[in-house]
Amino acid sequence: MNKLLKFALVASVVGFALTACATPEPPKTEPEAAPAPEATAVQPETAPIAEQPVLNADSLAAVKAKEEAERLEAERARLEALINQIMSEDVYFDFDRSELTEKAKELLAQVAELLIKETRFSITIEGHTDARGTEDYNFTLGAKRAMKVKEFLAAYGIDAKRMESVSYGKEAPKAAGESEEAYSQNRRANFRVNIRD
Amino acid sequence: MKKKTKAFRFSTLAMSIALGVMFLLPSLSFAAIDTIAVDVGISVFKTMPIGIVPFTEPKENIEWIEEKPHQILTRDANLSGRFEVVASDKFNLALFSRKHVKHYVTGKVTKQDGNKLRVDCYLYIAQTKDMLVGETYVVPQQELRRAMHKFFDLVIKRLWGERGVASTKLAYVSKMDGIKQVVVSDYDGYHRSQITRDTSISMMPVWMKENKGLVYVNFKTHRPRLYFKKFGGVEQPLFPNLDQTYSPAVNPVTGELLFSSTVDGKTDLYIGNMNSGKARKFAYLKSNQTSPAWSPYATEVLFTSDRGGGPQIFVMGKDGSDMRRVTFMGRYNERASWSPEGDRIAYTSMDNGKMNIYTCALDGSDIVQLTNNAGNNEHPTWSPDGKLIAFASNRSGSYQIYIMRKDGSNVTRITNSGENTSPTWSFFYDDLD
Repeated sequence: MNKLLKFALVASVVGFALTACATPEPPKTEPEAAPAPEATAVQPETAPIAEQPVLNADSLAAVKAKEEAERLEAERARLEALINQIMSEDVYFDFDRSELTEKAKELLAQVAELLIKETRFSITIEGHTDARGTEDYNFTLGAKRAMKVKEFLAAYGIDAKRMESVSYGKEAPKAAGESEEAYSQNRRANFRVNIRD
Repeated sequence: MKKKTKAFRFSTLAMSIALGVMFLLPSLSFAAIDTIAVDVGISVFKTMPIGIVPFTEPKENIEWIEEKPHQILTRDANLSGRFEVVASDKFNLALFSRKHVKHYVTGKVTKQDGNKLRVDCYLYIAQTKDMLVGETYVVPQQELRRAMHKFFDLVIKRLWGERGVASTKLAYVSKMDGIKQVVVSDYDGYHRSQITRDTSISMMPVWMKENKGLVYVNFKTHRPRLYFKKFGGVEQPLFPNLDQTYSPAVNPVTGELLFSSTVDGKTDLYIGNMNSGKARKFAYLKSNQTSPAWSPYATEVLFTSDRGGGPQIFVMGKDGSDMRRVTFMGRYNERASWSPEGDRIAYTSMDNGKMNIYTCALDGSDIVQLTNNAGNNEHPTWSPDGKLIAFASNRSGSYQIYIMRKDGSNVTRITNSGENTSPTWSFFYDDLD
């Protein structure tokens, strides 16, 4: 079971790496695509081994439930890493703007495809701004950006109930510093993937 | 009849000329201000010379752990923006007369039992040596500074007939171990105490009515949400039924809270009662609205709207009616705050990615740039007496809190380490007299 899952995960990672290569800027995406998901894929195998000494029916069920929970959590982490990976390679908001660029739409289409496949997962879209401007206005700007992403995914067919949007304003920058490079990295939307009940 | 129409035509012509001039004026005064080095401090303030003489000390020396009384008073006098300090080792009528000093302060320090100091403080008329204010404080040395603040506010009251701000406080945000926390200090940066101790960001502190506590934003739910904490009390969430609440502004008359809430990407102003927890939408507008600020008597509200694309400052009545645009110059004008005297607003404007502080009249005219060529300057907050503005600036390399006169002169830094932002000035403290 675990082996199978691992195989499936690796396969999907490879599959994904391939699609990532197909995007216009492969050199950037390729080196980072593989390592992170693989590390999470190994996790479910190691954890249950430590639990093995106790082996009656009750605890077996408990172990199974735990295994299942861990498997789900690992998959959630994998999906989140994957989605953020897709989005991390591109600047997709211009200064003080919330419109999606063509590049951003391309990437979001990939995210949408993933979400269509993985129906148990819901997402939180976090809107962010660069460090310029006031805290207050940047909250509204981040909210507008997250909303534009949500609207795009909804139009692609993702149920709005699976998506939540939140603004972090300029409070959670990805890159430090006051360069245009740092600014452009921080004008972004991030995703958190949650397991639905 | 004919005459009347002619007169009417003439007046419309005059009006259009007047309007044209009004329209031009902001850019003219802007250009003029731009050439003035703000830090030099060309002050329109009327300052009053005051003599400050060291307090006499007992023969057995006092081990001073911080500044002496006259040093604390000198800093208060300088920060107040009201005085020009004339320092003298001892009473010196010749010097005082030459410098037009009509009044001077001095006093006497003696040791008391229990490691306390007895500090007798006096305000005298220089010519006659008549005493105008005499006050005695018996305090441990750690509380000397606050005692001196109290005395200094009495001096201001006697000489200006107004309340001073030496006993007021500031709330602001300070980064600790990489996390923004809300802190409070005396207005001069001393006696700092930490209000939030969270693993998630706290920010945007404002004062509750009568300085009973603070309202602020925290991210512990992974969303911005308003909380309040009375001093010595526990933190309580505000308006949990509303999503993403921030930009709090306390009504100075009723204590109600005006704030922003973002639902599905749309940001609106809400007004709520902190005790009952009830809140309702304040104004139904198509644009996003944030950064509300009350007029001194809570009859009107300033706020920021993005209806023109970027942020601009607007004003409306307390019932959400009669909306007017205030700022027209530049593309980014945000976070207005209304002066306690009611005649001007201070706000942050961004140009070429740099933020600076401006003030203008309520109709947007008479724009004055207060900061220039010194990093980013933002988040202006008025002192309750309307004489000063505190703000955050990264001119030294890191963000710190500064105080200046309302005309931009006399800039003084009051925090020194870490990163400190988003100051808001307390109301007056009433335990003075």
